[in-house]
Amino acid sequence: MAPDTIIARLIALLEDFTQDWDQEPDAGMSADTLLLADLGFESVDIIQLTVAIEEEFKLFRTPFDKLLMKDGRYVDDLSIGQIATFLQPYVQAA
Amino acid sequence: MAFASVDNAQLAWQQLGEGPDLVLVHGLATNRAFWFGHAMRLSQRFRVTLFDLRGHGYSSTPEHGYEIRRLGADILGLMDQLSIPQAALIGHSYGGAAAIEAAVQAPERVTAMAVLDARSLLFQPQMWLHEAPDLSPFEAEIAQGTEVDWPREPQVGLRFLEVAARRCLAGQAPGARDPVTPFGEGRGARKAARQWLNLIEQTTAWDDFHRPGADIPALRSLSQPTLLMYADGSRCLKSGEGLRNLWPAARFQLLEGAAHFFPLTHAEQVVHQLFDFLAPLTLTEA
Repeated sequence: MAPDTIIARLIALLEDFTQDWDQEPDAGMSADTLLLADLGFESVDIIQLTVAIEEEFKLFRTPFDKLLMKDGRYVDDLSIGQIATFLQPYVQAA
Repeated sequence: MAFASVDNAQLAWQQLGEGPDLVLVHGLATNRAFWFGHAMRLSQRFRVTLFDLRGHGYSSTPEHGYEIRRLGADILGLMDQLSIPQAALIGHSYGGAAAIEAAVQAPERVTAMAVLDARSLLFQPQMWLHEAPDLSPFEAEIAQGTEVDWPREPQVGLRFLEVAARRCLAGQAPGARDPVTPFGEGRGARKAARQWLNLIEQTTAWDDFHRPGADIPALRSLSQPTLLMYADGSRCLKSGEGLRNLWPAARFQLLEGAAHFFPLTHAEQVVHQLFDFLAPLTLTEA
């Protein structure tokens, strides 16, 4: 699956995921959109998103800790593009 | 998304890995993300169930049912829904106290218990400022400029959370940061702060948190392998010492130079200790 396709599917998923949130309307999501800074995610939202991503891309046992954690702590933020890059080998294999 | 109906609540849960069952229970004003990093590691040898306590994370917020006995029953109810006959329970803070209650209510279903920096109302019906050696930088800043009489506040842990949440929503989040800062996650912090205030203002949670759980004879009757991990810089240490006296066979580990949120600040040490403590379960399974 092409990186742009993964990004497009992630954006559609995130639009659905955040639709009920009390957010000011943003200019629209792109590969550079950050989960925490731009979308107002907190850590549990990221975890819930990993579940939704596995459902969306039919993945199983994706090692999301490699994306989300550094030295046992959550990374400061994540862009949609970073998630897509991380997912690509797993999506190809699925 | 996976939800389980337990009592009057919808509990959000997820599972990782395969093997003997572990259920990880987070504490107040946090959520299952607290345990996610540990769960990923533990899932190499165990089937790990993570869930959000009622009123937290993606679980629903019913009006009632936040007393420690009910939260213990929620763990067992979730295990019923997920067809988990037996599990080792690992809980931090209020989640550790809930794990103890679950073990009292159904000892045959709890294969082992790891209690990390849990406060027990039996040993600490109140929690005072002076029970920690020092104020953290975040606490020191929160304590300034409020009308709370902190040295006389009998529930200092919960009060810190409340004041921190109010200041976060008022756009007055402290500049000081602890290794783990409640409601300190940027824009998402406001959502977490709002959820916490909704819980303590719109439900019976605040009163429920102070309702006692099982009594000392019930706790003393527990015989499963137990790990107690406490931090020398935590206000909960008094509870750890009480439980240690109650369960002389328990493995007790004191983390020096650590504070209440040590499962996050000392994650590697905690995972290592849990693997070692839980190793007999994998032998049984094999």
